[in-house]
Parts: sequence; structure tokens; C-alpha cells
Amino acid sequence: MTEKKSPMIQVKNLYKVYKVGNSKVYALNGVDFTIYKGEFCAIVGPSGSGKSTLLNMLAGLEKPSKGEIVIGGSHIEKLSENQLVSFRRKHVGFIFQSYNLLQTMNAVENVALPLSFRGVTKKARNEKAKEYIKLVGLEKQMKHMANEMSGGQQQRVGIARALAVDPKIIFADEPTGNLDSKTTREILNLMQKIVREQNQTLVMVTHDNYIAKFADRQFHIVDGKIFKIEEQHHEEQHHEEQQHEDTKEDMGYEEG
Amino acid sequence: MKFSDLLSMSVNNLRRRKLRTFLTVLGVLIGTASIVVMVSLGIGFNELTMEQIASYGSLTEVSVYSNAMWGGNESSKDPNYMTDDVIAQFERIDHVDAASPLLETSVLMTQGAYQAYINLVGVSQSYMKNIPLKEGRIPEPGNRDLQMIVGNMVARNFSNPKSNRYGFYDDSSSIPDIDFINRPMFVIFDMDAYYQSQNGGTGEGGTTVKPPKKYLIPTAGLVEGGAEDWNNYSYSVYVDLDALKAQLKQIFKKKPIPNQPTNKKGKPYNYFIYQQAIVEVDDMNNVTAVQKAITDMGFQANSNMEWLEQSQKQAKMVQALLGGIGAVSLFVAAIGIANTMMMSIYERTKEIGILKVLGCDMNNIRNMFLLESGFIGFLGGITGILFSYGVSFLINRFLSGRFMSNMPGDLSRIPPWLSLTAVGFAIFVGMAAGFFPALRAMKLSPLAAIRNE
Repeated sequence: MTEKKSPMIQVKNLYKVYKVGNSKVYALNGVDFTIYKGEFCAIVGPSGSGKSTLLNMLAGLEKPSKGEIVIGGSHIEKLSENQLVSFRRKHVGFIFQSYNLLQTMNAVENVALPLSFRGVTKKARNEKAKEYIKLVGLEKQMKHMANEMSGGQQQRVGIARALAVDPKIIFADEPTGNLDSKTTREILNLMQKIVREQNQTLVMVTHDNYIAKFADRQFHIVDGKIFKIEEQHHEEQHHEEQQHEDTKEDMGYEEG
Repeated sequence: MKFSDLLSMSVNNLRRRKLRTFLTVLGVLIGTASIVVMVSLGIGFNELTMEQIASYGSLTEVSVYSNAMWGGNESSKDPNYMTDDVIAQFERIDHVDAASPLLETSVLMTQGAYQAYINLVGVSQSYMKNIPLKEGRIPEPGNRDLQMIVGNMVARNFSNPKSNRYGFYDDSSSIPDIDFINRPMFVIFDMDAYYQSQNGGTGEGGTTVKPPKKYLIPTAGLVEGGAEDWNNYSYSVYVDLDALKAQLKQIFKKKPIPNQPTNKKGKPYNYFIYQQAIVEVDDMNNVTAVQKAITDMGFQANSNMEWLEQSQKQAKMVQALLGGIGAVSLFVAAIGIANTMMMSIYERTKEIGILKVLGCDMNNIRNMFLLESGFIGFLGGITGILFSYGVSFLINRFLSGRFMSNMPGDLSRIPPWLSLTAVGFAIFVGMAAGFFPALRAMKLSPLAAIRNE
């Protein structure tokens, strides 16, 4: 994954400062990096390191105090809230930790929901939704409501929902945080597969070094600064190697 | 986002919380129904009064009287008499369809042993056409012979001078048996001569006065209504104006005609002067203006309009009061809607956040909530109208007769415009109540929303 590619996200000298009482807290303290098209990147750091803040700013949910964010050639740090919503609608897919499916809708409707925001007709968007549900392997659960599915199945629906809008970039915020170890692996493998097959760009935030190893590149962030960037070369057999050493880190995970 | 998608999302959200939606809709239903029923009572009251007034005579009629008729105007050189010229002037006033003079003269009618003093009124053809007839027809225009249209209560005036019963008959059974159509009716025009011949038979110059001539006058028609049903035409006998003029001229020749004023030398004018005229106005709304124009000409003008305006003012007040009482309950319902929507937003904070992160337009989110509250208003409005029709039916069926037995007709009336306005208003109230909650939902930060666990 190191061949020359066009930059998808460019972050330059990014700062986020919170005021707590009279003192200033630097959540981000001068961050620079570039993510290329078709890359699976992980932002790794302990809690409080500023990784979630970074993701929120990339997705246009929070505004930076200083610095530039260029996504697909356009600056997003200066957009108004309405423009940001429109930006997300057109270019961004989102995968949440707690899946965030709408409880009143079944799997297909959930996947089709973001398409309805674009004014796609019901027939067209349901067709597309079914296509992506098949892609994530949930042919049998198409008509299931959100609460009739397991955590892993819900997260697959979440992935299908992120993919269905043909985004330029997908953000995943601790996507496996609520899953057990087996499902975690399945989901991460699915994400890897999708990045390769669909040539998508995926940015994942996690606090877990093991999970981060599934990514092509890892940005380690500590105290609001990028501490190191690791590259990983994944081959298909790579997963087998890792499978016997993951049990220890899975202990803290809860089932969704 | 397509409107149909917005609508189905809103409706789905309402269906999720059936009981709460039902209770909120119930509030709007009661609010709408109470306004509609109250206003329908006001409308019913107003229309009943209108109908009652209209039954006492046309609402587009102005009666004009001459002030000069009854003396008092001695000093003025040119008394303000109503002549044919003045009638023509009335007809030239804007919005006046026709002006009919009324030439009244007192006559004595006799049939068998009974006699009565009757107000004989000469009227124009157009006036006569407005008189509702029970039987017979109005006299042919241009017919020089007098033919009478007799009021339905005229028979009450007859009495037998030889018995000592005079005056009014309290019950219809004792009204004398007077038949205008089939038995001859004799009319005496020269009352002075009649009195003089009755009281010893000497006139001013000591000469013997012959009893005046009696005329046999046929009856052409009878005014509609029984002996108990009063209307504008009940107590008079109507004849053609021109025929009456000709008759009077023939009887009195150069002598002053009774009821006609004389000039300062005590001589009669050589034209007829009318005591009263009826002016027909083209529309109810112009009556007041015409009335004012006539008053400005120096005559006294009356119409049912004054009465009507007063009772309309009263009816409006009643309507406003009733509507206000109803509005209070709709206001309470509006607070209910606002409350439901607020609760709904607190419950759905996370959902709204997800929608925003997934790129749902802020205006769409606002519209979704507006639609939801508008839909509550719509449901409440529709069911409220149906409910009102039921209540209205019950009021008309069971209450009208008991409280307003003297007024026929429905007490509660819901015209179509009221139903439509009520539904529209309910939707508006729903949306207005949902407006601030919807703005709040729109402005929720997506971050705070998705963090909400």
C-alpha cells in the first residue's frame, strides 16, 4: 500500500484548545499528516490523547481552533454548520462504536436512510441498500429490526450504511469497542477487505494497539501530538499469525 | 430529502408512541370541537335573529316618512312634502331599485251588520308584487277600477255597532265572520259627510248633509297568513295607487281630501302628497347609506337594518365570547403539543444526532418535527370536526326545542368554511406549538447528541 497515491486528507498544523476555568487545555497541539486514497489508517492513543477530537474535526463535527484540514481538495475548517452537514452527506461515511442504528427501522431501511437525505427514491435506495447488506454478509437479516440482531450483525449493518453513500472517506470511531474478540476480528477483516476491494479510504480511531495493527498505517498520538507513524504490510496469511496472540487484550471487551 | 420520506418518518415516529400521540390528539380534538361548537352556536344565534328579522319584512326596505305631514312646520315657507317629484328623486339615489309611494286614507267598510275603520293604502304595482298572497291575485296594472288586496288580520277590525262589543278580539273564534271574496263589501270614503249625516245630519251651513255614497269594491286577493300571523301587510287594505287617486278625485272634486294637507289658505294642493314611501335598496349592505341620503333630504327614514345591525353587534359579541371560551381549550391543547414535542426531542436526542452525523439537512430535521406536530394538529382537527358535527346534531335534536321554542330552526350550525378553517387552524396551532421544539432539535449539536448514551 505504499505506491504513490493522491492525498485524500491533509492536516496542517492543527490545534484545538479548550478553556477550562482560567487555564487552557491543548487537546491537539500542532498535528500534521496526510492520508492517501485507498488507505486504511488507524489513529491510536490512550484516552485523553486527543484522538477522538481529531476524528471529530476530520468529520466536521467540531471546529479546530487553528490550522487547516483539506479533504478531497476542499478546506472544511471554514465551513458553516449547514455546509458541514452537506459535506458529510456527500462525502463521508460514519461507523460508530455503539452502531447507532435507528431502532424503528429494519436493516435495509437503516442502510438506505442516508440515501434518503440525498433525495434518492425509495426503490433505488432500497436496491442499493440490499446490495451492500449482501456485501457485509447479512442476506438473511435484511428485514430484521436493529434490536433483533447481535452486536456484530448491527455493526455490519453500520458498515453497510457507511458504504452505501459511496463516500470519499469513512470514519470509524472505536468500531469494535462493544464487540467480543471473535466478532472484533471478523469486523476488522471485513473492513480490510472493503478498503481493498472498494478502494475506499478508512480512518479508524482506537485505543488498542492490537486492533490498530489491522490498519495499513498507524498514527500514534499522545498529548495532542503525533508521536510516531508505523506502517504495516498486510498479507492474507498475516491474520493467522495474529490469531493466537490476541486473547490477552480481549479480556476487557464487553459484548454489545 | 423528499417530502414523502419526511412525512413517512414523522408518521412513523408518531406511531411509535401511540398512547402519547393519542392523548395529545385528544387534547387538540377537545380544543377544536369546543371552538367549533361554540362558534356554531354563535352563528346559529346570529342567523336565527336574521331570519326572525327578515320574517318581519324585507331587510332591503327603507320606510320614509314626511316630517311635514303632521303640522309643526307652519313657519317654513315650503313644507317638505313627499310628492311624485320627491319619489322620483329617491329613485335617483345610488343603489335604489324602486321607490313606491304609499297614499293612505281612512275609510269605513261595511258588510252586513259589521263595520270597520280601515286604513286604505294606495300603492304602486311594484310594491303590490311584493305582497305574499294566500289566494287571489294582484289587480291588473292600468285597471281604473279599485280592487282590494286585504290583509289577513283586517277582519279583526270589524265590529257590530249595535252590540256593545268593540275593539280587539282575543281569540280567533270570536272574530266576526267577514268574507271579502264572496260577499259584497261597501266602502265609504267621505268620512266627514258620514259623521255629519249620523249626528243629526246638519253641515256647516246648516244645510242637510246627504249620507255619502257607498261604493262596492271587489277584493282581488288576500294576504298570506292566518288571523294570528302578524306580518307587515296584516292590518291594511291595498289598492292600486293610480286607481285610488282617480277615485278620490272623483269623490271629493274640489273639496280637500281627508289626510291630505292644505296650504295656508286652507285650500288643497292640486297634487297628491304621500305620508309614506317605501324605498327598495338593491343590497342589504347599502341600506344604511341610502337611509342616510334620504335623511339628508329632510325625511325620516327607518329600516329593519338598524335593528339588524344592533342584533348583529350583539350576536358578534356572543360569538366572540363563545369562541374565546373555546380558544382557551385549544390553547391548553397547544401547550400539550409543545410538551409532547419537547419530551419527544429529549427522548430522541441521540437519534437526531445520528441523523445529523449521517448528513441529514438541518432544515429537514426541523421540518420533520414541524410535520409531526402539524400532523397531530391535523388529526385533532379532523376528529374534532367530526366530533363537533355529532355534538351539534345532539344540540339541535334535544336542546333547541327546549330552550328556544319560539324560534324555529337549528341552534347550532357548522358551515363548511368553519370546518375548513378549524382544521387549518388546528394544523397551524400544532405547527406553532411545535416550532420551538423543532428549532431546538435542529440546533442540537451532533456531538453532544451521539455521546448521549
